[in-house]
Amino acid sequence: MTRRVKGILILALAAFCASLAFPFVASALDNDVVFRGTVRVGREVIPEVTITVVDAAGQEVGSTETGEDGKWEIPIPSLGEFTVQLIGPLPDGITVKDGASSEVTVIVEEWRKKSVGFQLTGADASTILEIPPTWERLLNRMISGLKVGLLVALASIGLSLIFGVTGLVNFAHSEMVAFGAVTALVLESSMGLSGGLFPIAVVLAVIIGGFLGLFLEKGVFGPLRRKKMTNISLMVVSIGLAFLMRYLMLIYHGAEPKTYESFKIQSGVSFGPIELPPKDYYIIAISFVTLVTVGVLLQRTKLGTSMRAVSDNPALAESSGIDVNKTIMWVWIFGSTLASLGGIMIGLTQVVEWQMGEKILLLIFAAVTLGGLGTAYGAMVGGLAIGLASETSTFWLDNDLKFLTALVVLIVILLVRPQGILGVRERLG
Amino acid sequence: MVLNLLAGIDISKLLGLALRTSIGVQAATFALAAVGLNLHYGYTGLLNFGVVAFMAAGAYGMAIFFTQGWLGGSLLLGIAAGLVFAIGIALSIGLPSLRLRADYLAITTIAIAEVLRISFRSQRLLDLTGGPFGLPSIEDRNANVSFADVVTIDWNPINDGAYGFWRLRFDEQTLWVMILGWTMVMLTTLLIWGLMRSPWGRVIKAIREDEDAARALGKNVFSYKLQSLIIGGMIVALAGITRSLNTGFVETQQFKPQTTFFIWTVLILGGAASVWGPVIGAITFWFIIVFVEELLRQMVDSGWIPEAILESNDIASVRMIMMGIMLAVLMIWRPQGLVGKKEEAQIDVR
Repeated sequence: MTRRVKGILILALAAFCASLAFPFVASALDNDVVFRGTVRVGREVIPEVTITVVDAAGQEVGSTETGEDGKWEIPIPSLGEFTVQLIGPLPDGITVKDGASSEVTVIVEEWRKKSVGFQLTGADASTILEIPPTWERLLNRMISGLKVGLLVALASIGLSLIFGVTGLVNFAHSEMVAFGAVTALVLESSMGLSGGLFPIAVVLAVIIGGFLGLFLEKGVFGPLRRKKMTNISLMVVSIGLAFLMRYLMLIYHGAEPKTYESFKIQSGVSFGPIELPPKDYYIIAISFVTLVTVGVLLQRTKLGTSMRAVSDNPALAESSGIDVNKTIMWVWIFGSTLASLGGIMIGLTQVVEWQMGEKILLLIFAAVTLGGLGTAYGAMVGGLAIGLASETSTFWLDNDLKFLTALVVLIVILLVRPQGILGVRERLG
Repeated sequence: MVLNLLAGIDISKLLGLALRTSIGVQAATFALAAVGLNLHYGYTGLLNFGVVAFMAAGAYGMAIFFTQGWLGGSLLLGIAAGLVFAIGIALSIGLPSLRLRADYLAITTIAIAEVLRISFRSQRLLDLTGGPFGLPSIEDRNANVSFADVVTIDWNPINDGAYGFWRLRFDEQTLWVMILGWTMVMLTTLLIWGLMRSPWGRVIKAIREDEDAARALGKNVFSYKLQSLIIGGMIVALAGITRSLNTGFVETQQFKPQTTFFIWTVLILGGAASVWGPVIGAITFWFIIVFVEELLRQMVDSGWIPEAILESNDIASVRMIMMGIMLAVLMIWRPQGLVGKKEEAQIDVR
């Protein structure tokens, strides 16, 4: 194939992918905040079912019947807590599942689409909160994207640095992130470090996270590297390790998603047009300060300089008197400390659960690839970009598709600039 | 003490269950997928971490075609549609990423597999893919209507009844799918065996060993890699199709990244770059997994393992832990697996 034919093929493929994405883009949106949904049994819709929405005080906000197409919609006045009630009547043979309820409580604390469902036998009634676009809301999505971006950046730096100094793509990195979050939760609940003492739990968890990094280097990857195993083989080993860690967390931490006691759901605090729960302001501030500190450490300290030197050229670094193995050890400790901190912050904004690692893995990979594998600053830039892209995309797309945005960004960047934004071009493949 | 331990263990059940699974449909589908992955990784040196993408393409291609009743809803056409979908996936993975370094390819493939899974799961495609509920739709499933019936009932030449002995008794439907599955495993294995003795196979292996040398000899490396990706991908798609014909439905939960790594473990256990590695790997893998799980279950039930260490609810996760340990340990101490050659299994694709 000539270059030109390939170019056309790739373009055609991109057009094909883009056309696949088209149906996901919500078309016209009304100007009110509404709950809307469909009551259906598989593909068969159920008309004439009454649905009511009441607010936290028990006041009815609205009531409607599902139409011929099973669809209903009720406008809601504001953010807050609402209960969607399925009043009925349901056709014969269809009931609410045992243990499930005909009422679903929806907490609307952010301007994003959200779906909830009633569990019926053989049926599904879904509710989607749709929010019309306004500049204020877009701004709020962007701030939220900034927050997620900072967190992803925090969690990704370690992966990128470790790749830089050893060439290993560490699939277990996301489990190190989850490990930090889970450790902090265990410390909080078992040692009573909640409320004002929570920062102590964070510091302890981060230190324990550092030891995990030390253990992985000294106990696993260091010896294997000296055994002259190839980086590809080590990557497969890290996948095995990731599954081991993930499912040990499932067994000993439990399947239930948990939240930090000290930070239950908080109501939003306004700051100009921006409305966020107070913990988010702290999270943004802490992440930002940490990232700046990391930059200064890498740029100004002896250890940081040697990390960058080993990352650039290990042989040259060694011959200039840098202890490469010691540097690699510190990179592992440093990276896994940051991963733990990132994990705790992510746990604060969402929930702490054993699957956290699996969920964040591809975001982290997208971030480091976008920024350029092996560069710490690249991970920061990439993390911010991925966070912003995925969070602002929920403004137009369904919430469950936000990962899709991040992954599509990843694939596109590999197509046009495989070395990433800050990576150095080298001959690939 | 050992005798006491043995008293709580039902050895017949233990061996019976393990053997039953290791020759069952599940093992056949894993073997089939591993045959395809073997062409990708073992012979061509492509780090395909998106095995499930091809399985999902095959399964969903078939299921959508059949449940939508396109072109009369013929199952054979559906299977063909699944294979064509898999070719499309191979092209969309291959064209952008085959030029990239191996670790980038790994990340891209895993990302594309997730893109596919999340898209299939989306509410927006509810009418086509059944969204989170899968296909066939719930009311069809309640009425026991499935594409699997065409194969297990309409096409089934075996008379009703149970066949076999001891704990290895299978009803006519399971037996028929087993025969179909293992026949496909044999045919694809023969195909790979033949391909690898052909000039094409020699070029493929040369690319794995030294891409630049192959290029210097005037071979179009990109095109060969793409061909390998397509052929292997279609074999993996067959595995996805076989699995959904056995379970009777497709849903996105079946196509999470962990399935990819199960298949990697099967391949590395058997031996990458060996003709029979995937088959031996699949049989051994399922024997070990079911044996250990059942042993643990019986030990927990008879009180030999205290609840503080392991509860019976947790045994399902032990499977994943075993997979993780097997993958890491094999890679470290026996990268050639059970039947592979060491010099062919040391892959450092750059």
